[in-house]
Amino acid sequence: MLLKINHIAKMEGHAGFMASVLEGDVKAAKLEIQEGIRLIEGVLVGRHYKDMPVVAQRICGICPVVHNLTAIKSLESVMGVAVTPETEKLRTVMEYAQIIHSHALHLFFLSLADFLDIDNDIKLVKKYPKETQAAIRIREFGMEIVKTIGGRVVHPLTSEVGGFKKAPDAGAMRKLVIDSKEILRTALELGEFFKKIKIPEFYRETEYVSLQKNGEYAIYDGDIVSNRGLHIPVEKFENNFHELQRQQEVVKRIEHNGESYMVGAIARINNNRNKLKPAAFAYLADLKWKFPYYNPFGNILAQMTEVIHSIESSTQLMKELLNSDLNEVVTKNYEVKEGLGAAAVEAPRGTLYYHVDVDAKGYIKNVNIITPTAQFLSNLEDDIMEYIPNIIKLSDKEREKKLRAFIRAYDPCISCAVH
Amino acid sequence: MVKKINSKTKKTVKKKPDKKVAVKKNTSVKKKAVKRRKSTLAAKLPERAGETRIEVKNNPAKPKVAIVSLTSCEGCQFVLLDLGQRFLDLAGQMELVDFRLLEDEEDAGGGLDLVLVEGNPVTEENVKTLMDARQRAKILVAMGNCAAMGGVPEIKNYQEGANTIKHVYKYLQGISNPEIKEIGNLVKVDFTFPGCPIDGEEFLKYIPELLAGRVPVIPDTPVCVECRKLGNRCLLLDKKPCFGPMILGGCNAVCPSSAMMCQGCRGLRPTGNTKAMRAALKNMMTDEEFENITEIYGLRDDLEEREGK
Repeated sequence: MLLKINHIAKMEGHAGFMASVLEGDVKAAKLEIQEGIRLIEGVLVGRHYKDMPVVAQRICGICPVVHNLTAIKSLESVMGVAVTPETEKLRTVMEYAQIIHSHALHLFFLSLADFLDIDNDIKLVKKYPKETQAAIRIREFGMEIVKTIGGRVVHPLTSEVGGFKKAPDAGAMRKLVIDSKEILRTALELGEFFKKIKIPEFYRETEYVSLQKNGEYAIYDGDIVSNRGLHIPVEKFENNFHELQRQQEVVKRIEHNGESYMVGAIARINNNRNKLKPAAFAYLADLKWKFPYYNPFGNILAQMTEVIHSIESSTQLMKELLNSDLNEVVTKNYEVKEGLGAAAVEAPRGTLYYHVDVDAKGYIKNVNIITPTAQFLSNLEDDIMEYIPNIIKLSDKEREKKLRAFIRAYDPCISCAVH
Repeated sequence: MVKKINSKTKKTVKKKPDKKVAVKKNTSVKKKAVKRRKSTLAAKLPERAGETRIEVKNNPAKPKVAIVSLTSCEGCQFVLLDLGQRFLDLAGQMELVDFRLLEDEEDAGGGLDLVLVEGNPVTEENVKTLMDARQRAKILVAMGNCAAMGGVPEIKNYQEGANTIKHVYKYLQGISNPEIKEIGNLVKVDFTFPGCPIDGEEFLKYIPELLAGRVPVIPDTPVCVECRKLGNRCLLLDKKPCFGPMILGGCNAVCPSSAMMCQGCRGLRPTGNTKAMRAALKNMMTDEEFENITEIYGLRDDLEEREGK
């Protein structure tokens, strides 16, 4: 039997799905990537390093912030540029805001209808007007932070190697801090609604990989760790994780010790849950999950937990920034140096890794970008192989619905995966 | 640094599509119809808590509009979605087809009043989708820099061309790696929402006219007009490069307002004086730096065309 979906909507980028089942045995399950190549790594070769954050962030229209920041951090690691604590904080706030609006979009508008067995978002918003308002307002809060700091939501403008071209407006930031109180309350209410969703029972053991840092929930910085005891500095990422291209495929998959693994909200919650802020910590505790939590459908609740945490964390950081000199974020002089650099930042969908080689004049010799979706693609397929027998007896239409729901729960970003 | 390919050999020449070829292609498209999504999104979402005002309109007389996404970051679609309530209000005035970000259902096909195209035609499927869209559309609009000017993927045309792929992939067989072409090379484009990404306010400004079946014209003013209005200090006065004077305004000078130079993502304005611009920038950047920056948003080929190179 051949299971085929020509096109999966409600996710970023273009992909279909194909699986073959022989006498009840799943022989293959594959996400069929239909995205064209843009060769962002290739076009960066030979360009001036200052172009890199600008060009690289255009890999993704939903998570440009994280591409921009990871590109900047990798260049700073080449040149040994030290930024101020204010700059690090402001970047972290930006990344948290990115996570808030990306998660709010996915967990409500892209994925929720699947869990409630509702055909489309029209019926969803009609049935749940209050929750829809909540999701929109949370998303707008995240976007407003990115705009205040970056000058624009899609492809922000101010961040660069060394800091920011311009300090954000303190008045606008103060307003965000005031708004955050109500947004946190809104998120907790939406969280209560999400607690009642029926999460399908499906468990498969896997390795969860994320950043980790002492004393805080790692987002902007940290070492690479996993629930299976891996702990390496970011520079060693490519020694441990291997990127490979299969013939005819435009996504290069990543393996760890020859196996698939998972990144993203569910991986971060598994590895770093003890460092969540109080409201998020309490929310997660109330879900009564047993850790490691191996159910990929739980990703949307992990995202909900992170939305709460991200509101708490970004508010705290903005308060600290307002009590310091915001002009400290403005870029100071630094020296252009040649060499190799690497950096990783937690994107909404998982750890984003950049590696760059720069010449003495500041021109790029080589770049490698490893995105979260490229990392979890094989894990998604391995999961589906095990999931299919659970749904094989359903009608074609019902089975296809379940498969779409499963794939969307992962929140794949195909534009990022191919870049 | 990578050696640049001679500008004459790499240039993407903009030309009107050959009608015979287009028609022929379109018939083959018909047979293997691209699966499309149908949107029933016509609901108004409430904006603020306590204001429940959801209406689902189902007026068959509403203009049929499709948003078509080719290879891209989909950032222009997100600009629309990020308009939140205002976009949903607008969506209530049209029958939206193929808005894949929100809908799973398939489109029945048929004529369209307006098609908005974002991204580059890279895969064969992209080309078919674009041709099919043109055939169905009364008005076809290029949405954003990739569709209109080639976008960041066009950088490869200026560098190693087809060989750029070797920096990225080991196995090249079966991977579609065409020269990047603005959609205007393949189909007739009636209007362009410029920018990388497009500007949401500008979209709201011109979309009513497009929905009414008219093609608007963006006024020929430089980025500088809005920049000055906002009270920004001119970057050029501080000897910092900026392409503002030769570039089409309408973005509310979003880049210079963030202390970022205008790099020309909206394209040359009709009467933009490129030679005067080059002369003004002489003391701020080398010719090579100038060319490099014009490559980011596919401006370089347009400049060369304007200057008759």
